[in-house]
Amino acid sequence: MHIVKQLMAIPGVIAAGEFAYRGDRFSYEGALTDEFARMASILCRANTLSVNMQSEIFDSFAGNCGCRPVQGWITRGSQVTVCAVGNYFAFIENRPELLNDVMTIMRAKIGDIQDDLLVNLYARIGGDTKEALY
Amino acid sequence: MNLEKLMDLPGALAAFTYSDKGDLQSHSIREGTEITPQVLDLLSRSCVANLAIAGMEARGWEALTGQAGFQPLQGFSVVGLEWSVVVNGNTGVIARNRDVDYEATFSALQTA
Repeated sequence: MHIVKQLMAIPGVIAAGEFAYRGDRFSYEGALTDEFARMASILCRANTLSVNMQSEIFDSFAGNCGCRPVQGWITRGSQVTVCAVGNYFAFIENRPELLNDVMTIMRAKIGDIQDDLLVNLYARIGGDTKEALY
Repeated sequence: MNLEKLMDLPGALAAFTYSDKGDLQSHSIREGTEITPQVLDLLSRSCVANLAIAGMEARGWEALTGQAGFQPLQGFSVVGLEWSVVVNGNTGVIARNRDVDYEATFSALQTA
């Protein structure tokens, strides 16, 4: 089963989707409008790039410290949590054990994100992976 | 702030506090890990930045979409290859990915 469908089958998952690193494509399921899903994809892409940039800096100070490559990030709100692993994201309710379950499933299904993250993600949506990514 | 209590969280490798500007103020590191005070010092600054960005996004998202439940922010976590850093307020915990309990860690930081 596709990861987005698998996530959406879990009670408490509000929406889940996939975004392209270039920011021009996204897909989703759940309680978002197309415009909100587009905004969520841009937000997730920006945060993912930001934390990856930070991990590059950490690595230059302390190589192999265990943070790089970044696998994802989590924003914990008062009632809603947004989590992203690789180029997948999920909006979930703050229910007991749901965040741990969702993160376990996302990490297991997506697998370890590799060093060559940008090219890897770009390749998933097709196209010339040697083309400039920015 | 009781860092030793935070070190009892599942998978905890380090716990630390930092100022509003991101200066590392206190820390506890489990022996045998590759985490150093220098990493924590840099991490503290990124924690302040990430929480500020996440707060801005939460506020903007609620204003733009009319959806609720994002504010007040209760923390941010970056998931690295081997460990995750979970932060809220002026406190952070680094926990090994294979053992981390995100919900327990966010809850502990909320009440810390």
